[in-house]
Amino acid sequence: MSQDHSEKQSEQKEFHETRRGFLKQSTAMMALALTPPIVLKAAEKDEAIAALFEKVPVSMEINGKKQQLSVEPRTTLLDLLREQLALTGTKKGCDHGQCGACTVHINGMRVNSCLTLAVMQEGKKITTIEGLANGEELHPMQQAFIKHDGFQCGYCTPGQIMSAVACIREGHANSPEEIREFMSGNICRCGAYDNIVSAVLEVKQGGQKV
Amino acid sequence: MNPFSFVRANSPKAAIDAVSKGDNSRFIAGGTNLLDLMKNGVMQPEKLVDINNLPLKDIQLSKDKLHIGALALNSTVAADNQVKAQFPLLSQALLAGASQQLRNMATVGGNMMQRTRCSYFYDTAMPCNKRQPGSGCGAIGGVNRMHAIFGASDKCIAVHPSDMCVALVALDATVLVTGPKGERKIPFADFHRLPGDTPEKDNNLGKGELITAVEIPNNPYTKNIYYLKVRDRASYAFALVSVAAALELDGNVIKSARLAMGGVAHKPWRLAAAEQSLIGKTATEENFRVAATVAMENAKAYEHNSFKLQLAPNSIVTALLKATSV
Amino acid sequence: MRQDKNVGKPLDRVDGRLKVTGGAKYFADNHMEDLQHACLVCSTIASGRIKSIDTKAALHAPGVLDVVSHLNTAPAPGYKQPDGKARRQLRIFADDRIYANGQPVAIVVANTMERAVYAASLVKIQYEQEVHHTDMRANDKAAYQTDRMKDYVRGTTDAWKTAPVQLEASYSTPIEVHNPMELAGIIAKWDGPDNLTIWSKTQGVKNSQVALREIFQIPDQNIVVHSPFVGGGFGMALRIWPHEIATIIAAKKVGKPVKLVISRDQMFTMVGHRPAADQKIGIGATQDGQLVGITHEAIASTSTYEDFTEAITSMSRFMYACPNVNTRYKIVPINVCTPIWMRGPGEATGAFALESAIDELSYKLGMDPLALRVKNYAATDPEKNLPFSSNYLREAYEMGAAKIGWNNRPANPRALKEGDWFVGYGVSTGVFGAHRGKASAGAIFKSDGSLVVQSATTDIGPGTATAMVQIAADATGISPNHIQFQLGESTFPDAPEQGGSATVSTVGSAVHDVCQELKTKLLELATTHIPDFKNSTPENSTFENGYLVTAGDAGKMEISLSDILQKSNTPVLQVTTTSKAGDERKKYSMYSFSVHFAKVHVHASTGIVRIKHVVSVADSGTIVNSKTAASQMIGGVVGGIGMALTEEAVLDHRYGRYANNNFGDYHVPVHADTPPTDILFINKKDPVINPMGSKGMGEIALIGFAAAVSNAVYNATGKRVRDLPITPDKLI
Repeated sequence: MSQDHSEKQSEQKEFHETRRGFLKQSTAMMALALTPPIVLKAAEKDEAIAALFEKVPVSMEINGKKQQLSVEPRTTLLDLLREQLALTGTKKGCDHGQCGACTVHINGMRVNSCLTLAVMQEGKKITTIEGLANGEELHPMQQAFIKHDGFQCGYCTPGQIMSAVACIREGHANSPEEIREFMSGNICRCGAYDNIVSAVLEVKQGGQKV
Repeated sequence: MNPFSFVRANSPKAAIDAVSKGDNSRFIAGGTNLLDLMKNGVMQPEKLVDINNLPLKDIQLSKDKLHIGALALNSTVAADNQVKAQFPLLSQALLAGASQQLRNMATVGGNMMQRTRCSYFYDTAMPCNKRQPGSGCGAIGGVNRMHAIFGASDKCIAVHPSDMCVALVALDATVLVTGPKGERKIPFADFHRLPGDTPEKDNNLGKGELITAVEIPNNPYTKNIYYLKVRDRASYAFALVSVAAALELDGNVIKSARLAMGGVAHKPWRLAAAEQSLIGKTATEENFRVAATVAMENAKAYEHNSFKLQLAPNSIVTALLKATSV
Repeated sequence: MRQDKNVGKPLDRVDGRLKVTGGAKYFADNHMEDLQHACLVCSTIASGRIKSIDTKAALHAPGVLDVVSHLNTAPAPGYKQPDGKARRQLRIFADDRIYANGQPVAIVVANTMERAVYAASLVKIQYEQEVHHTDMRANDKAAYQTDRMKDYVRGTTDAWKTAPVQLEASYSTPIEVHNPMELAGIIAKWDGPDNLTIWSKTQGVKNSQVALREIFQIPDQNIVVHSPFVGGGFGMALRIWPHEIATIIAAKKVGKPVKLVISRDQMFTMVGHRPAADQKIGIGATQDGQLVGITHEAIASTSTYEDFTEAITSMSRFMYACPNVNTRYKIVPINVCTPIWMRGPGEATGAFALESAIDELSYKLGMDPLALRVKNYAATDPEKNLPFSSNYLREAYEMGAAKIGWNNRPANPRALKEGDWFVGYGVSTGVFGAHRGKASAGAIFKSDGSLVVQSATTDIGPGTATAMVQIAADATGISPNHIQFQLGESTFPDAPEQGGSATVSTVGSAVHDVCQELKTKLLELATTHIPDFKNSTPENSTFENGYLVTAGDAGKMEISLSDILQKSNTPVLQVTTTSKAGDERKKYSMYSFSVHFAKVHVHASTGIVRIKHVVSVADSGTIVNSKTAASQMIGGVVGGIGMALTEEAVLDHRYGRYANNNFGDYHVPVHADTPPTDILFINKKDPVINPMGSKGMGEIALIGFAAAVSNAVYNATGKRVRDLPITPDKLI
């Protein structure tokens, strides 16, 4: 037997141990108890089946649409939106809650979707930038951002707009100074801040329902 | 992130049981710090127990105290009318921390549990006794501009990053805890630890113990208060130094005072001696300067943070002046 | 019935709707069948070589397809030199060398992002560590010059030392990181062995194409680069970086399309930065403020594997009328990624030193710093000995001074207070070459009256498509509503990368020229196919509101442009033109100028600086879009606030690792840091540079700004901060 072959065998062994160890500690413990041994054995070899065991069901409403989903516990809400649901309007700028590009509304409150797990959203209502406009008719904040040129590259813009809408709803848009403070969780590297303040002020003063 | 299992707890007992069982299980509430650390590989729990469904969100004012459930959101507490009226220092401190998005996620209990922002703690390729006991303190002899000037050890010079906790320690809060062995109360000042030889321990919670609430005794600090946060940018940054100042004034005479600092120690840093020095004095810059000098006894700086020896007392004086002039 | 001119108007961005609805597709927003996800494994030492890579655990983790490194892939063909020698560059996956912390050394491909990231954490690498240097100052004896950076002398060397009033001062600026909001990355897809398609974050689709052609040795036409939306660049996406090559190699190896989005900490270590610089200025003047001499010396950091140079000392040579100027510039190799031009590049670094020194000199002279600048105004370029194509600096000084209320500035520092806050005013000047490169544009005019103009430029934020539509509208007389400008595709007519403030000048000229060509063709069709217009000539005809109008013997005749196509049986009229500068560049010195004014508050006991008001004036020729141009200026000011007050990438030199490689600790300015900002434009056409008379603005928006703040802080407090950023600790 060549050395190569024996090395490969030991690798295989290690692989199976890893896989078993993984399944043992995985979320699927409950499911495992009910799973026929034949499937379990297959799971050790078949990645597609193994993947099922790693996922957890979760249901939530996204932009008005009820979704029954199955996600890995470690999947963040941001990655769920972007990678699995193709709602790519919400952006990843830092993945650590330090920039605001991923801002969405959960039950009406603005949050950083990069720092919350998808599995934690059971029964929640999520609104992303894609769900803000009323059909073809832009939300007043979207219109104001265009009018006041509240962006340049546009990458932080979905987060800025979601944050700006919430800022008014919270009652934190009563002066330019207050807007600047309460919008500080949304970084814009292009530096469109002055124009964003103008946009938020106009929507606030316009008195439209946001 | 490492793979982990996920459980939703529907009662405090179920949550405590679930966390007590595993070697490396954690509660998750807002997740704003835990997930951040997990993404960096600094923390790698095997199991997360979601406690967001527990009934611990209430804010109740009774005749002798304010009770805040551990799951009350930072933004909710900051905007609460009772808090704003009776405990404005807490509201100000909360609003000085993080961003509105994070305050909408972060809970009171989670804020207390947040870990240091020391670069060496966060970078798994550099030594840190807090992350990996025995590996050494990278900040000593390294980049330590943000680090402690009080209560540090030769094992760790990290600071606690919270603003909320600075107000809570100043206001003599109590932490309500429940765990495998039942309920207990911890004075806020005793909740967090100094690093000593065990910097890996941030606080005095036991295994499986869950923070259920924070209580603040009623106090006279409704008017002459100020939370000053000095930082490298105008918002959304951790403190170089922060000061929670509260005065009870009789005319221009100080009847009682509360002072605490953030960004200077491994725990929110109460300035008891400085408070004492103010009692019975008039509220003047000169007397504030004396209190600041008292506060700075035993301060020790490192290579890059000696400015804090000047900034901290200046900030104490500034905060007291602001508290007086409202 | 001549319609209003479009150039100059505040037209809303043509891509605004896409950007506010989440509809704009940046590279990472593309989904495709069988797309795999990648994560990089990066070095944790600053110098040395890889001893071993243990990929066992990673390969066995769920969903992992491969772990690619130099151990299991052939070097990219373009890395092989004909003479067998290794090219001096970072050759990813070609060898075991480590030049810096955070250098990509392996790439993990898996079927989900989470799995790729986790598996990457399982790759174990052993290194043989060598001595590293990350401290430029400690390593300054290693400074050297390249052919591109010769010493400059005009008049007498060090003549400032002979002047009656002298100043010598040193200034330092830290490493700054571009940190656009969009994370860098790429999707790479191979169709067969020789056909490559990428979606990537790049400021130059043609740049990327050329670089990939050389590295992978496949023909241009087999490489397609898509970059229609770029989430900011500020210079970092001006070249191909190793993470892109790594992903392309990995995609080929696994035989599936692969997507990589790098993390924010990796943005610090693998896509360039503004180098650290130490500068020394000697400056001397007569008692009445006439400059006698300037000496400007600088060292700046580069990597150990490439020479990076920029124009740090250039401004000192021509900004002021000064008979004696000498400059010297050297680079110091340190173990970090190679720098790359960051907005305002070297000029911004140099302007901080020069414009601080001018301010310092003004106090020595007891002279208003604005008056000192005006007194030494250079009416012609003293370096090139040529007239400026246009230069309205003196007007800019006047306009800005009036707007900020310069007459409120106290002559002496620490003289004005509002409550706890000291108040100060500062001014500075910025300047950047007004360039024009070579570019092509294509025009496609259809019989429905719609015009599509295409060019392989990009838009990192200034609003390129909007400006181009305005230029095309004025050039063709077609309404902007019927014009579309398309960019960001390597299949479009050739254009350079978006950088150096040259897009409007370069691509705008091509758009202008292709529109002229289109009109010529339309006129030809009309004269050939439509009897009424057989006598139409460029002299008797105009293009207005979508019509060809000819003044004939029987009065004015007009025909819609779409009718010309229909009547000539031409469904589509397509023309392409290449456009470039002529020899006017030999006769004139061409620069854009800016003047920045800042009013600051400095808190006396905590050292907190708050900028209360900014006025920036741009002399950048014709303003194509007054709305987007103002935004670009405001953005430069915000970048300047970062440079002045908050930004510094801090290295722990013991480990050669960044200690603040995230958005929480590396402080990009937030909303609350920024003041109300007034932008003023000279808005006078440069008569020479290009058909529009536009000089460019992206860089001058930032250049000089940091000095305006630093000068204002001195005016407020009497404290001169010569090392950026001006954080509170430096003022208490």
